[in-house]
Amino acid sequence: MLGFDGATKRFGSVTALDRCTFAARPGRLTGFLGPNGAGKTTAMRAVFGLVELDAGTVRWHGVPVSAKERARFGYMPEERGLYPRMRVRDQLVYLGQLCGRGATDVGRSVDQWLERLGLAGRAADRLDALSHGNQQRVQLIAALVNDPGLLVLDEPFSGLDPIAMDAMGGLLAELAAGGATVLFSSHQLDVVEDLCQDVVIIEHGRVVLAGELAELRAKVPQRFVDIRYRGLAPDWPELAPVTVIEAKDGRARLRVGRDTDVAALLATVQDGTDVVSFAYQPPTLSELFHQAVAA
Amino acid sequence: MNGMRQGWLVARREIGERSRSRAFLVSLALMAVAVAAVLIMPALLKPGGGSKDIGLTGPTPAALAATIGQQAHAAGVTARVHHYASLAAGEQATRQGRVDVLVAGAQRLEWPGRADQQLKAVVTGAIQLVTVRGRAAAAGISPGAAAALLAPVPVSSAELGHVAGRSPTDELAAIIMTGVLLMCISIFGSMVLTGVLEEKASRVVEVLLARIPARALLAGKIAGIGLLGLAQIAVTALAALIAVTAVGSLNIPAVRGAVLAWAVAWFVLGYALYATVFGALGSLGSRAEDAQAVAGPAQIVLVAAYFASFFMITQPGSAAAKAISYFPLTAPLAMPGRIAMGATTWWEPLLAVALTLATIIGLIQLAGRLYTSAILHSGPRLSLQDAWRSTTAAAPTVTTPAPSATEAGTRTTTTARPRARTTTERRTTMTTTGPARHRLLKTVLTGIAVALGIAVAALTSDVIIGVAAGAVFIAIANMMVRLWTGHPGPPVAHH
Repeated sequence: MLGFDGATKRFGSVTALDRCTFAARPGRLTGFLGPNGAGKTTAMRAVFGLVELDAGTVRWHGVPVSAKERARFGYMPEERGLYPRMRVRDQLVYLGQLCGRGATDVGRSVDQWLERLGLAGRAADRLDALSHGNQQRVQLIAALVNDPGLLVLDEPFSGLDPIAMDAMGGLLAELAAGGATVLFSSHQLDVVEDLCQDVVIIEHGRVVLAGELAELRAKVPQRFVDIRYRGLAPDWPELAPVTVIEAKDGRARLRVGRDTDVAALLATVQDGTDVVSFAYQPPTLSELFHQAVAA
Repeated sequence: MNGMRQGWLVARREIGERSRSRAFLVSLALMAVAVAAVLIMPALLKPGGGSKDIGLTGPTPAALAATIGQQAHAAGVTARVHHYASLAAGEQATRQGRVDVLVAGAQRLEWPGRADQQLKAVVTGAIQLVTVRGRAAAAGISPGAAAALLAPVPVSSAELGHVAGRSPTDELAAIIMTGVLLMCISIFGSMVLTGVLEEKASRVVEVLLARIPARALLAGKIAGIGLLGLAQIAVTALAALIAVTAVGSLNIPAVRGAVLAWAVAWFVLGYALYATVFGALGSLGSRAEDAQAVAGPAQIVLVAAYFASFFMITQPGSAAAKAISYFPLTAPLAMPGRIAMGATTWWEPLLAVALTLATIIGLIQLAGRLYTSAILHSGPRLSLQDAWRSTTAAAPTVTTPAPSATEAGTRTTTTARPRARTTTERRTTMTTTGPARHRLLKTVLTGIAVALGIAVAALTSDVIIGVAAGAVFIAIANMMVRLWTGHPGPPVAHH
């Protein structure tokens, strides 16, 4: 369990983290969200001591994080970077050794990872000879090479093509299923919604929303109804107290209360309209995000 | 996992990656070969050692040939005398280089090219002697009395400021050694500088610092590159020793095992000092192109130290030579030369080592703080001032721009004292006097430069060196101000 406890950091007059308190649990994927400049990178750097907090602590299993624990963490910074002229395998073994493991031990896991991510044939190549996508994979291995109990990834999905995104998502889910604590930041809210069990949203260095995603969505009093229909549109005003968010070209999105009688609503709409599909659901992560950040 | 092991891993990577590069291996071989060649060359270029061929033609006193032989012997030269029947034959032999000088009628010396001053003195002396003896005999003085009259007066010579037994060859050897030291400190120091900048530019530094402390990274880098430098200088020193031993006839006391061992030790100290500075300054930049801007002042100091040592080689016992061989920034280049010239007593190098070590320890503390606070900064180049402020961010203090300059000002010149005080007062009361402060700073720095130039000129009794010292000071001061404030130097004052 990774815990932020009142973490505060100021850079001159800018407050990057403001009594930031939240937790990321083992065996789960935690999405770390917030607009640009909200303090996500600062918070992630604080886990690794790259930023010295002015107040508060970062704890791992309840104990303030020390250099010894950090050696068992994996980190992928937003600014990707490795030695461009160093050979792929040498580089990964070196980074693994810096975490305190023996060369042969690290070598074995590096080979396994290279094999798994389809880079076994490139082990002896210089990093700058690899394609952008393959360099990203090497960067990921660099974060995974010491079999970390905690994995912190800053924007792991940025710059990936859809296939690489799926592969990355699958890998992260698998690592979490294996018991690792995984915290990652992203602006791709649909990806986070699909992958994560937990989310933390921060703005101006403060946590504005945190918890289990399903629970957060359920707790919101509004529900949304998405309707697709053919032909004439229903008479929306008749449906009050429903709020129509948008309705055009055979699609409509309505906001209703949590206690709305869904069956009655469907019956009303179907009366006189050819309904193709009807979906009643809690707000999307994107809606939660906009609500939380605007508040 | 302690810092030592991590530092060693970093050092090992530096050694492994860099020693594989062809450039390093080539430079290793080149420097050793070049130094050996410079030491062997003079011996190869002196054909026949000290033997000279002298041609005689025309009417000459009978005793001349024998006297030339004696005079030459006294000067340490073996003379072979050849007789030519005619001037034409003699001149032909001279032109063909078969004789080194042709004595025509005991009155004229003809040379194949430029006159050899030593040989000229030998031959002229012999002619004088023979002629005076002839005149004495003509005046009725007995040969015994004439010999007594002409008995040479013993004149001994002493080279004050020089050390007995050291020749220009030793000076040359000492200059070469100092040059090799400069090259090695500068080459390997620059590797630290560019290495730090490359890690920043490629962003790998964040990946590294998530695993190891900044100090372990900097220390490991300096140590790893330093070990490569040590290998280079050790190979070069060994080549020098082998070259001198191989050319047995060449007697260069400046190239001895003990002197070379000192040179290696001074490389370690000089490298440690400058590499620490280069590493810290490198952390201020963000891209490889920033190298010049951030490390310029340190590089100029290093080159200035070399030139100061170079000029002092011929007077290793002078006060100025002593001063620069103790001053930590110049000692690594100045002290080895003095040791090579035999101008030091046993405790002097040890004192200089102690002073340099103390400075290195202080610099490591400073560099560690600066590097730690600046290394993760990205974007435009940091000013030294900002980097330094962020190391002391917890306790906001009034930082003074270019503190060394103002301090030096109060210490050296009495006129600067009230000025410096005004600066401090003004700074504490109002903080928006930028241009005025810069004008003042520039005036103070110029004053110090002039004073320094005059002092150096007086000390070395050489105006040019004095002017150079003043100019170098102004250049370094300007670059320091630029580095400190992050903007291009004090604006030029318009009067």
